Amino acid sequence: MTAKTTSQSTQGVVTRFRSRKSRRTEARVALLFLLPAVLLVLVFRIIPLFWGFGISLTSATSTSAGEFIGAGNYLRALDDPNFRSSIANAGVVLLSVPIFVTIPMLLAILIDQGVPGRAFFRSVYFFPVVLSSVIIGSIFSVALSFNGSFNALLKSLGLPAVDWLGRSATALPVTLTIQSWSTFGMGVLIFLAGLSTVPKDMVEAARLEGAKMWQVWWHVIIPELRPIIEFSTVITTIGLLTSMFGLIYVLTGGGPGTATTVPEYLIWSAQGRLNQPAYAAALSIILFVMTSILAWLQIRIMSRNANL
Amino acid sequence: MHKLKMAAALAAMLAATPALAKEITVWDVNVDEPSHATYYDHAKAAFEKAHPGDTLTFLSQPDAEYYTLLGTALASKTGPDVIWANGGAQAKNLVGGLIPLDDKLPDLIAKLVGKSAFTAPDGKLYFIPTTLQGHVVYYNKKLFKDVGLDPNKPPTTWAEVTKMCDAFKAKKLACFMMANKEGYEAEFFLSEMANQSLTSQQQADWLAGKLHWSDAPIKAILQTWVDTSKAGWYQEGGNSQTMFMDEFTLFSQGGAGNVWGLLSNVAHWKVFEKDMGVDNVGVYPMPSPTVAADQHAGAPGVPLDGGVGYGVNKDSPNIDLAVDAVKILASPDVLANLVNDSGVVPANTLVDTSGIDSPGLKQIMGWLANRAVPTTHANSSAAELDEWHHQSQLLLNGDTTVDAAAAALDKVQAQVKPQK
Repeated sequence: MTAKTTSQSTQGVVTRFRSRKSRRTEARVALLFLLPAVLLVLVFRIIPLFWGFGISLTSATSTSAGEFIGAGNYLRALDDPNFRSSIANAGVVLLSVPIFVTIPMLLAILIDQGVPGRAFFRSVYFFPVVLSSVIIGSIFSVALSFNGSFNALLKSLGLPAVDWLGRSATALPVTLTIQSWSTFGMGVLIFLAGLSTVPKDMVEAARLEGAKMWQVWWHVIIPELRPIIEFSTVITTIGLLTSMFGLIYVLTGGGPGTATTVPEYLIWSAQGRLNQPAYAAALSIILFVMTSILAWLQIRIMSRNANL
Repeated sequence: MHKLKMAAALAAMLAATPALAKEITVWDVNVDEPSHATYYDHAKAAFEKAHPGDTLTFLSQPDAEYYTLLGTALASKTGPDVIWANGGAQAKNLVGGLIPLDDKLPDLIAKLVGKSAFTAPDGKLYFIPTTLQGHVVYYNKKLFKDVGLDPNKPPTTWAEVTKMCDAFKAKKLACFMMANKEGYEAEFFLSEMANQSLTSQQQADWLAGKLHWSDAPIKAILQTWVDTSKAGWYQEGGNSQTMFMDEFTLFSQGGAGNVWGLLSNVAHWKVFEKDMGVDNVGVYPMPSPTVAADQHAGAPGVPLDGGVGYGVNKDSPNIDLAVDAVKILASPDVLANLVNDSGVVPANTLVDTSGIDSPGLKQIMGWLANRAVPTTHANSSAAELDEWHHQSQLLLNGDTTVDAAAAALDKVQAQVKPQK
């Protein structure tokens, strides 16, 4: 009996040892799989971030390491009218986010409701998403130039031609409209995916109760889409702040004046045109902080929705 | 004993091995340009003949991102041995990463013109200019006839320019092309208007940052920018019109009577003569609204400086070879290929241009001999030019005043050219 107990106990220890050893091996293998991703993030994201922050505290140019100037570049940004203008433009861009979210949502609901030619519209709406911003910018530069086809259309209707991209009042709204056109297809897809999760019986029940179409939308579909609306709002906001460079570069070059200059365009200008990498780094850090706050909001919203 | 023999054999082998072949790399934005191909081929052949075993390699770089890529490469000490650059603000931004060439190539430098665009504030030359860049007005002779002007008598004074533009306006045609989407038209305008209205001393003061944007001579240029626009000299939509190359293509197609063009590389006599016909293109130096005390009324100057040039990276492991590559790129025999094929005006005075049969170029070469004046915008800093791009667009739209624009430009000038 004693011998048997001892043997069982020994076996248990061996099993536990083997299990611990196997867990350790498993952990090592897992680490090995994670390593490439961790290294990529570390080498291409984290280290450049700290490196960039270090440069932002100096007066470095492309040909000299410069001197440590502390917060000099950040103070300069506060006093730079072009930076202030770019932040104001970023504010206008953020104000347009509801339009960027609402249009794809409404179109997705229409498609989901079974409008004729649904498959056709789905592909057509997605088409601009596959075009690069440079191609889109070039197309609209030609179409919206003073002697372009859009003004020719206006003239044929007896309306005056407008320098859409050369006037301060119209350049940013037009640029945002083009950005919206070029990206709304992706929003439609996201909302279509979200709509597939809306319970059909709820919609049917509302209809049987005599609810009109707008009442079904307002009281049933849109509340059910709330997590998707929040998700779309956050990714659209971050996208608008960090991915409009190509379009602006081709369409307006940031002008007229600074009417379409957003922070990311100003960063490129400081580095590429003015040979001021330290100032560009400081502006990048400011943009990073802005997008980090939005990312934090995103995480907060997502975790709240996870508990719904 | 055996080991000793082996060591001796190894030493003998090493001694007999020729030095390792070296490669000199050149970054340039024109490498894929067909009109430059013969020039590069001749430069490569001459270099490799002079240095058997070594190679000269031209690496094509994208024009739009060139200075961003170059700046990053120089900062990380991975730049090319030989660096191409435009004269003026961009070249002067790079001098910290280059070696001065004054002591390396004194004989060549003595034969060059257009050096100031590549001379740093320390007075040293960091690039060897290969081409000259300047600003003249090209005009469409057929349109001159259509509006009732004599195509063989281009304007020589501001009063004649005004009269000419009135004639174009009467026929509802644009007098001058305007393409200021990137702000480059405003740069050209600054130099074209300053060519007669600034004294030599004022040009020197401008370079040193002692003459300000709000000082009367410069503010007058800003005012002329606004006044000529209000007078209807330009086609509408100038702030959304691209200069390179849409503006020049439109001019060739009869979009306006005149265009502020260049001497070398693009938008110059050879391009227009090819597109519009030799007999249909005229050229004249731009008169300014006022004539400074040391300038000549009726004989406007031509803003002239180095166009593009080559410098040597101070971190190059083969500086002497790189210097020799620059010498070859700027040598008369090699440069002659570029002059013949693409119509650039050479910076090396030993290049023979007598074989080029162009009435336009003959006139230009005559003016260069005795009417050259500084290129005001090339003597401005990159930051000032960037701000001038913005302000010029706002001025065209009527979104700011001349006083406010000059004050904004003064602020930038004070940051980049502080006065003690």
